[in-house]
Amino acid sequence: MNLALVAVVLAIGGGAVLAVSTRDGAVAAIGIAIALVGSALLSDPLPSAAVLGVRVVAALLVATMIRSAMRTGPRQPSPAGWPSEALLATAGAVAGLGVAVGLASVAAASGVPGGLAGVGEPAPGGAVGGGTTTVTSMALITAAGTSLLALGAAPLVHGRPGPRRAIGLVLVTQAVLLLRIGIAGPAVELEEIAREALLVVAGATGAALAIATASTAAAHEAAETLSP
Amino acid sequence: MTLLILAAVALGTGLATIFTSGERRSLALAIGLVGSLIVLGLALVMPDTDSLIVGGVGMVSTPVVRAMAVAWSASLAVLGLLEIAVGGRPTVVGPSLIGLAVAGVALATRDPASSMAALAAGGVAGVVVPGLAGWLDGPDMPSRLPTTSRGTLAILGSGLLGLGVIAWGASAAGPLGGEGGPVSIDPSAQLSLGIALLVIVAAVAIRTGLIPLHVWAARFMEGVSPLAIPAAFAWGSAAFVLVALDWSQVALGPAAASGGERWLIIFVAMTSVVLGGLAAMVHDDIEHVLGYSILQDAGVAVLAFASLDPGVVAAARNWLVASATVKTALAAWASVVRTTYGGHRLDDLGGWARHSPALGVAFAGILVAAIGLPNMALFQARTDLVSSAMPGIGQVVALLIAAMPAIYLGRIAIAGLAPVSPAVRAGLSGRPRWTGGRAAGWSGGPINQAIRAIPVELRANRAPLMALGVVALAVMALLTATGGAGG
Repeated sequence: MNLALVAVVLAIGGGAVLAVSTRDGAVAAIGIAIALVGSALLSDPLPSAAVLGVRVVAALLVATMIRSAMRTGPRQPSPAGWPSEALLATAGAVAGLGVAVGLASVAAASGVPGGLAGVGEPAPGGAVGGGTTTVTSMALITAAGTSLLALGAAPLVHGRPGPRRAIGLVLVTQAVLLLRIGIAGPAVELEEIAREALLVVAGATGAALAIATASTAAAHEAAETLSP
Repeated sequence: MTLLILAAVALGTGLATIFTSGERRSLALAIGLVGSLIVLGLALVMPDTDSLIVGGVGMVSTPVVRAMAVAWSASLAVLGLLEIAVGGRPTVVGPSLIGLAVAGVALATRDPASSMAALAAGGVAGVVVPGLAGWLDGPDMPSRLPTTSRGTLAILGSGLLGLGVIAWGASAAGPLGGEGGPVSIDPSAQLSLGIALLVIVAAVAIRTGLIPLHVWAARFMEGVSPLAIPAAFAWGSAAFVLVALDWSQVALGPAAASGGERWLIIFVAMTSVVLGGLAAMVHDDIEHVLGYSILQDAGVAVLAFASLDPGVVAAARNWLVASATVKTALAAWASVVRTTYGGHRLDDLGGWARHSPALGVAFAGILVAAIGLPNMALFQARTDLVSSAMPGIGQVVALLIAAMPAIYLGRIAIAGLAPVSPAVRAGLSGRPRWTGGRAAGWSGGPINQAIRAIPVELRANRAPLMALGVVALAVMALLTATGGAGG
């Protein structure tokens, strides 16, 4: 029984909830780091050391950039509060398991050996659990992806410009990258590099735009203070 | 192997240009120019049948990859020179080099997920760098920052959407994830193929800014240097469409575009073709004409998704590379006109061609390349794309579409032949002149004088030299419109 993967999924969800809910910039950056490093480790078996290194370095780089954006940006905690965000993350994860079940049934119906992502299907990456019901590692990756998607979509789409939108952008990007693996299987090495480049670019862009927004807001405040 | 070296050089010099541009403009421009010249040299010597395996994925440099690399890098070298002459923050060469690097790798890679992720990552610089520069240069226009933000979301969002549908294609529910056999004729499978096709077309529509998703693109083009527009839209979009087309052809096949999806795609594409063309005709602002004409070109390319026939996809390759080259030349013309005469509305540009004959010659070349002649690859590609989507009336519709650039570019040409307006008369002279090359107090010998005269004469002839750059781009546009992409 590989409970480590379940723990990693919980850590990803917890980190993401922390990132979108907290008022403190440093804590949000820690939350992002937990979610992204957890996503890097969410694989069974673990990838080669080089690929793992690329993933972890990219995750920490993104967390650093988000932290730098939050130094100057306004505080933008979740208006719904952390309990609501946690419930949202849980609902997203359950939906992801549902997607995995659907894919497993399609795979079984079409006679694909060893369904990729499912509950009740032995996957190449091994199964988590025992008895009659098993949760494959791919299903857990899909669940983590949908969980991050549920958490990141609102800040990205409806959030005001600033650090919260940057966090949303990073979470949604990581969510799609996880879903890509969860439903279609492991990536080749070249894709791993492109994926991590995409994650870093998303973090850098979000951070740059958040810093620019903060400087605009500061300029407005200064102008209002100076005006009679 | 040459392609990998090209990508590495382009990526390195592109990043170096962006990182140095904030503090040391001259150094950044020099790095960018040297980088683009090296990349051009590598593109010219690159074989079009090279292949190797990198990171577990095969990479094949096809004639299309080579044609795109040559056309993009050659136009980039000229744009780099024009950027030096135009002035302002360096926002053109750095993002373009990054875009060229990822586009080359993405088009050569046989793994669509890698291609899509790379294009999404590499395309962002083309929007963020000029967008933030435009925002910094226009403190009285705070809306430029939200526009840049929307542009970034569009680039990343289209890439993520593409990545998602590619993952679906390789999943157990997709056509490539099952037994790997031919596409099922089961009705539910047909429906899922159709939906997948619509999703990838939606990603293309977001990336290229098709109507009605064009608002961010139109606002973006208002606030940046026209020289930065080709990398963000013409070339970046072309690479994205090419990758999406290749995937659709392999994973979905022509059967995916057999029902209502086909008509929906034709409707979306033709909406952009017609409304984009009309908008270009009614606008007096040359940047708007440029933007809407690029949008119209993208609409024509999207028609390829309505059939996914191999012949039509080949026509789309020709169309995308040729139209991107033509629009690069048009963007350069717009930038040089704006720098030379200060204005960008047709009312202010009366007699621009009379005042600068070289710019007039260049524009004539751009006009011919944009419309095309019946034996040109661009003209044939447009006819094939439209005819495949609308059998029977395609030839007539293609001629009508070809007439649109004749009208909107023809208006600009007529303005150029009109009497010279005061604004144009007050601008830089477009005719070459010799100042004598001798600054006050010089007493050196003839060689010293000649060397010292070079920068003086270059500055004095800035406008005709810029016009010469546009002539070079117009010649490239004509060559590419004639020869296509070898697709």
